[in-house]
Amino acid sequence: MGNDYRVVIIGGGIVGCAIAYHLTKLGEKSVAVFEKNYLSSGATGRCGGGIRQQWSSLNNVLLAMRSVKHFERFSEEVGMDIEYKQGGYLVLSYTDEEAVEFEKNVKMQREAGLKVEILSPKEVERRYPYINTEGVKMATFCQSDGHANPHLAAFGYARASQKLGADIFTHTKVVGLERLCDSRWIVHTTNGSVKADVVINAAGAFSREVGKLAGVDLPTESYRHQIFVTEPLKDFFDPMAISFSGNYYMRQTKHGNFVMGQGDADEKAGINYSVTFRFEKELSRKMARIFPFLRKLRIIRHWSGHYNMSPDAQPIIGESPSVRGYYYAVGFSGHGFMLAPAVGEAIAEMILYGKAAHVDVSDLNVQRLKGGVVKEKNVV
Amino acid sequence: MHRRIFSHPILDFKRGKPVKIYFEGKEIQAYEGETVAAALVANGIDVFGESYKRNRPRGFYCAIGKCSSCVMIIDGESNVRTCITPVREGMKVARQHGRGDPKW
Repeated sequence: MGNDYRVVIIGGGIVGCAIAYHLTKLGEKSVAVFEKNYLSSGATGRCGGGIRQQWSSLNNVLLAMRSVKHFERFSEEVGMDIEYKQGGYLVLSYTDEEAVEFEKNVKMQREAGLKVEILSPKEVERRYPYINTEGVKMATFCQSDGHANPHLAAFGYARASQKLGADIFTHTKVVGLERLCDSRWIVHTTNGSVKADVVINAAGAFSREVGKLAGVDLPTESYRHQIFVTEPLKDFFDPMAISFSGNYYMRQTKHGNFVMGQGDADEKAGINYSVTFRFEKELSRKMARIFPFLRKLRIIRHWSGHYNMSPDAQPIIGESPSVRGYYYAVGFSGHGFMLAPAVGEAIAEMILYGKAAHVDVSDLNVQRLKGGVVKEKNVV
Repeated sequence: MHRRIFSHPILDFKRGKPVKIYFEGKEIQAYEGETVAAALVANGIDVFGESYKRNRPRGFYCAIGKCSSCVMIIDGESNVRTCITPVREGMKVARQHGRGDPKW
């Protein structure tokens, strides 16, 4: 371990690794990542792996579009095949009110330059004869959406940043942050202490605790989300299928397995890694009805991870207005994986140039939450 | 070739009545009450399929329906675990090459 870094990143998930990669790529070699467990051990390695640009808030659309640019050239630029597939996202709506919302969203998404189609239930059936469209009012589809393997993406960024000079410490927990009178930081870890100019909180489910280490109160809370995976079939299911009103999402991995999940409105805030039989029962019944080819497939694993929720379900990104030199990229509310490439780039640019150069993230800092919130609705 | 055990010092085999099943078109002698995998092995068929990545022969492994090594196509349905599926008269069994086909 060196003892002096320009930037220390707390959290070795996709967000922390993406920040490390972009910093080193832009020439800042003095970077350390501290991960209390192993890389992608938190929400990154537990998530569905979807990459979606169809959001209800413009900020999310723009960040996701920029991320897709990065995902498209990931294997070439970062040097790892992350099983990226642009099979599109099929967003199914089961209520009339939501269908009206979707029309508005699509208008906004198209103005932002995204190619989105509106599909009738008949058209969905024609394209995907293996989906039961009973109850579907309408659907939207964006071909450039897709999915990838989140573990590989985190490892890819981590390895590339190490090659460019970053130090990555796994199984090393940050336990304290101390401010020196020259406004530098001392970062105390379970494996010793280092100095840093800038500290970044990319701690995902633990963002609030890591905020407190610096006296920064971040309005985030973590909620358990469960997910399971079936045995594999031939690779035939191209899109990621998702529904907010139907409360589900599903994709087929490159290996052939189907990964799926749903949200639970009764979930209490807090860290909880257990799984429930109720989830398995509810989701498998629902999914076998909508996707009849699942009927005879067996569930082979079931696990849980956490959404780090912000009050408006949009990420909180930026430098703390009260504690300078303390940055955060937290509160991703279940879509950190897909936004990480653009957010990593934006944070790196903020630190090195004082301002994000590709996507304007200035209204994603905590101040936006002072005068009430406009909630991102497109979350499962 | 016959690989059935007819007498055993400890175990007792209560064999059901003889049935015929078909392995890739070939008629095979089986007994009611035994599994498809048992009938195949008894008739000298050890290769149930191939591994996904390197196409190496794969056969009977855990014998309790956990490992998926013995999955085959039975009467047109893929991914059937032959080690826990009892034989039925006239059953058609075939090797599954690669992942199973979706059915809807």
